[in-house]
Amino acid sequence: MTRKKAGNPATGPASADEQALLDAVKHRDRRAFTQLYHLYHARLHGYLRRVLANAAIAEEVLDDVMLVVWKDARKFRGDAAISSWIFGIAYRKAMTAARKEGRYQSLLDRSADADTMPAASSQDDGLIRAALQALSPDHRQVVELTYYCGFSYREIAEIAECPVNTVKTRMFHARRRLKFLLPALDGTDKENKREQL
Amino acid sequence: MSSSEVISHEDARELLPWLVNESLADEERDLVNQHARNCVICRRELEELERLHESIATVGDASPVPAPDLRRINARIDAMMAKEHRGRLLISRLREIVGSPLRLAFAMQTALLVVLGAALFWPQAEQAEFTTLTVPEQLPDGQYIRVVFDPNLDSSEWSGLLDGMSLTIVDGPSDRGVATLRIAASASGTNPDTVITNLLSNPGVLFAVPVRIEQQ
Ligand SMILES: [Zn+2]
Repeated sequence: MTRKKAGNPATGPASADEQALLDAVKHRDRRAFTQLYHLYHARLHGYLRRVLANAAIAEEVLDDVMLVVWKDARKFRGDAAISSWIFGIAYRKAMTAARKEGRYQSLLDRSADADTMPAASSQDDGLIRAALQALSPDHRQVVELTYYCGFSYREIAEIAECPVNTVKTRMFHARRRLKFLLPALDGTDKENKREQL
Repeated sequence: MSSSEVISHEDARELLPWLVNESLADEERDLVNQHARNCVICRRELEELERLHESIATVGDASPVPAPDLRRINARIDAMMAKEHRGRLLISRLREIVGSPLRLAFAMQTALLVVLGAALFWPQAEQAEFTTLTVPEQLPDGQYIRVVFDPNLDSSEWSGLLDGMSLTIVDGPSDRGVATLRIAASASGTNPDTVITNLLSNPGVLFAVPVRIEQQ
């Protein structure tokens, strides 16, 4: 399989050193672990910050993920890519945290939490973010893992530990919901306006 | 999939998000592209998905990523490794006492049988109580705890461990760190399990078990 992910914020360029670093971590090499942490920090932070509303929780989950990497490095057999394995851990931790967050969030006004959310750069940003938040956690995850992280549907199936057809179905439902929530994106508004002119 | 194959509209439509993020395998990508060239619905959906991809990938891009801070995770790893080290030390100490791995396995099996036997014959006991024959017989009735200190500690260090715990050393420690402690009579209401939990929270204590002495 050939991949083109130039400039993708989440998966980044495949690092030939990654395997060597993980091998060293298996032998309890703290320096290699620090390097691996640095290598994944921005990608995991970006992903977790998108699927979790609270910045402090996202930071905590990031550390939880990397602690599992440290503990379970020896269990990694190389059946999947290292990035799929690490994002799989992040996926499960994020799902648990998102469910907990959801429980508390229903008691709060989401706008009151605005200080913990990344600043919206435009009005469109706010709309898109609101639409993504309206998705169920597993639908949201598939959307973020595809469009933000750049994973293939097979990789997402590995990450979410589900059949590929489930990934496709979740994406199908998420697309339908986003289309309903973000009508401006389907271009019909522009065409309607053009027709009216 | 060979290049002479065709893909159904439904299958192609499902794969469009991954055509957009450029993660499809070459053959799959060619099939979907070929279909989209001749399908108005897929072509239109592809345009929508490209806009959606662009919007989602860039939303919140302005928020800065903080610099990695490994202090908390390093502290957690240190604690985890210290615990692992204590576990290994205890096993090697037991192995040293018992001898070969085979004898260790036999000793553990015997210990398990004794515990199971005790549970069977005294099912009404509210808490685990053991009377061992090796406890000096001249000791008065009371609640005692048998501990194994880390043998690398010196006498001032292990006596320092007991400060403020209402415990007095009545026997030992031997050169292997084994000692018998008496729970002070003034602390008769103290639950030995709580005392043991407190003792085991200290890295210098490798093992602790309650002993009850009742002279006949
Ligand atoms: Zn089609």
